Amino acid sequence: MHQSTKRLLREMAIICLMAATIGIAWNHRLLLNAWTGNVPANPPVPASIPPSQAGQRQPAVPLPLGLMQVKEFHDRKEAVIVDARDGATFTAGHITGAVSLPLGEADARLAEFAKRYPPTTLLVVYCNGYDCHDSHNLAAKLIAAGYTTVFVFEGGFPEWEAAGYPVTGGKP
Amino acid sequence: MTSNAGRHLSTVIRVVLGLVFLYAGVLKIADPVAFAGNVAAYRLLPYFGNYLVATTLPWVETICGLMLIIGWRTRSAAALISLLNGVFMLALASTIIRGLDIDCGCFQQGAAKTSAWSAMGRDTVLLALSLTLLRRDRQTGDRTAG
Repeated sequence: MHQSTKRLLREMAIICLMAATIGIAWNHRLLLNAWTGNVPANPPVPASIPPSQAGQRQPAVPLPLGLMQVKEFHDRKEAVIVDARDGATFTAGHITGAVSLPLGEADARLAEFAKRYPPTTLLVVYCNGYDCHDSHNLAAKLIAAGYTTVFVFEGGFPEWEAAGYPVTGGKP
Repeated sequence: MTSNAGRHLSTVIRVVLGLVFLYAGVLKIADPVAFAGNVAAYRLLPYFGNYLVATTLPWVETICGLMLIIGWRTRSAAALISLLNGVFMLALASTIIRGLDIDCGCFQQGAAKTSAWSAMGRDTVLLALSLTLLRRDRQTGDRTAG
């Protein structure tokens, strides 16, 4: 191989190595949490801490979750899938087994939701896809309310439906 | 074109390309979780792979951007940026083929969606610029290389 090409490749490799070292060191907590499946910077909240106080202790950083992971959680019934869209949209069509908690009604209905699902419940929140931010906002509210493991399915209902996975309502 | 004009053109391309990649990298470094979500949307990598890419790729962009701006080891930075652009374009092509309607996640995370075709057009321009830089540096020699 030509000497200058060798040098070029060596320098490219060094840049990549430097970038990887800095990036991994900079985000080591996030990577560790992603590796172990925990929500970053959201340690489990002791049951004795009221949700309102728990919210002050935790930054609202829900992790995004891909379609395949959501499908696995759904099939194994390991997570409660939460629909952040309004009630009418939910009725028109939603992920089978999902629970409706519209963002606009979240403050009023959170107490009722908390009675049904304890803070350790694994929650996956979705709305109408990547352009829709209701799922992120609702996930932040749920984390603030004391939920320790909250994911956001950013592809939302459109991606789920497009993949041909089970939906309820909507179709005649 | 005179060699003087050519040198000026090279400098302009180098700085513009550097600024674009520095900007792209810094925005992603600021929000790695959102970028991981955008990488996950391509459905090409396993779960942890999305995070690994989201935490390291922006630093490659940032370092290459800085190197181009200051004019140090520009051939290596331009080559790496050409390679990255090639990979981005392959990933974007795969979303078009698979019919995935996703945001490219190229710059600001969570901003208005950029379609795969628009991103592909932009990446083609960036690839042309980086290849031009690489070619010019090969012809003239990397004067700044130590």
